[in-house]
Amino acid sequence: MSNKDVFILGHSLTKFGEFYDKNTGNLAAQALVEVIKSSQLPKDSIQSIYFGSMLTNTNGQPSVGHLSMFESNLQLPFFRIEAGTASGAAAFQQAYLAIKSGLFECIAVVGVENLSDYVKTGTIERILGTTIDYSWEFEMGATLSSLYAIMTKEHMEKYNTTLEQLARIPVKNHKNGTHNKYAQFQKELSLDRFLNAKRIADPIGKFDPATQCDGSGALIIASSDFVLKNLKEKLLPKVIGIGQGSDYLALHHRENLTTLKATKIAAKKAYTMSGINSKDINVAEVHDSYPIGEILAIEDLGFFERGEGGIATETGQTEINAKISINTSGGLKARGDPFGATGIAQIIEIIKQLQGKADKRQVDDVVYGLTQNVSGTGASSYVNIFTQAEVKA
Amino acid sequence: MEPPKIWREKRQRYLGIGIECKDCSAKTFPYSTHCPKCGGENITEYQISEKGKIVQFSQVYQTAKEMMSNVPYAVGIIELEDGIKVTGQIVDIDYSEIKKDMLVRRVLRIIGKDSKEGLIRYGFKFVPINYSLK
Repeated sequence: MSNKDVFILGHSLTKFGEFYDKNTGNLAAQALVEVIKSSQLPKDSIQSIYFGSMLTNTNGQPSVGHLSMFESNLQLPFFRIEAGTASGAAAFQQAYLAIKSGLFECIAVVGVENLSDYVKTGTIERILGTTIDYSWEFEMGATLSSLYAIMTKEHMEKYNTTLEQLARIPVKNHKNGTHNKYAQFQKELSLDRFLNAKRIADPIGKFDPATQCDGSGALIIASSDFVLKNLKEKLLPKVIGIGQGSDYLALHHRENLTTLKATKIAAKKAYTMSGINSKDINVAEVHDSYPIGEILAIEDLGFFERGEGGIATETGQTEINAKISINTSGGLKARGDPFGATGIAQIIEIIKQLQGKADKRQVDDVVYGLTQNVSGTGASSYVNIFTQAEVKA
Repeated sequence: MEPPKIWREKRQRYLGIGIECKDCSAKTFPYSTHCPKCGGENITEYQISEKGKIVQFSQVYQTAKEMMSNVPYAVGIIELEDGIKVTGQIVDIDYSEIKKDMLVRRVLRIIGKDSKEGLIRYGFKFVPINYSLK
């Protein structure tokens, strides 16, 4: 690989929520046009587009690349990367590798999903069922929620994690989300609301999972050579570590149900590449599609000891400006989860934190930020680490 | 539900047919053309144990339409006597009575129905041993 550094030159995000008037192509184009405009680069600077999307087939048309490029008046080589609910982070990592390889100097990465069309009983469960073992988990009767419920129960029994500790995660994330204008929900929810909700998969309550919704996000990433040639800015967010890990698709094949091996592998690779460790991270966006997801993430990423994720959350150690600030954007829970767009939105939040542009969510003295994007119950996990750095030849 | 898929998987779903590797002796489920442990092709069919115990479980209220007529139902990870682990529904017992490590037996049941006159999909579920519904 080349020793050229990879920087993030621009970003844009649509609001996340329900947009029945837009198809996947419309949403992707909205983020794509905006990111090119805001980056102030000549339009022909972009050499390729990497799309991260799990479904992309609303309106029966899977080719999100052609649809969004038509609206953006572009005709470029493009790739669509599918990695389940972690498609956004997977596309970002592939784009990073393409710059590192020297094949391209400047790439747009677009994460997009249009899920509102499917949010009706039976259909969304089937879609979520494709992120787990469809034949031997979903078709046997398990759902994504019931498998996360199994992981939750295991953690509760093994480490005395309580329902109250678990509920504090969405409470915190909704509080953070009140300051994020792109979030689907900008409203605080009380602890009782979560604790008293009807159970949808014992012990998971009705309000615990993140909602599947519509949205799109885009980034422009480029090599240091490209930045030096085309931009005056010399201080930009730099990608300093990436890592990917895989595990068995089916939960029943895994040895340990209270850790995501894929996240541990991905984190180890990303920490090694960046030359830093978990203690150096100031702010992280992690995959809180269910409350247990955030607990496993903060343990597997090394922020807290195994089994202490619950107590760390309860004692406020993951709030903004506490020991480590987790999901300052509101996470998947408050922001909403349009799968492919989620991985990109996580990166955008870290960029804002690094640049001191996170408004009321801003964490003090941020040096290193991390993102963790997971597919299914942890079959794949992608970790990225960023810092603000000087662009050098 | 696609008829070719149901047909392809019929021996796995109705009889619990997995594989045994003649090279490394690993027993695995579901059926595969290569041994998932050593990658070898020297395999033979193997029927998974009929009995096992509950590792962990939860309850389902919302699922695919074809299975909605059964909700709420219990689902869990079962460790069979031969060490193979599978996911399946736990039936013929009240949810509140289900416990970890409870002994269960594999039975053939209807898993889903496409519609009133559509396809019926069969497969295995688990019933507790030494337990009768009150």
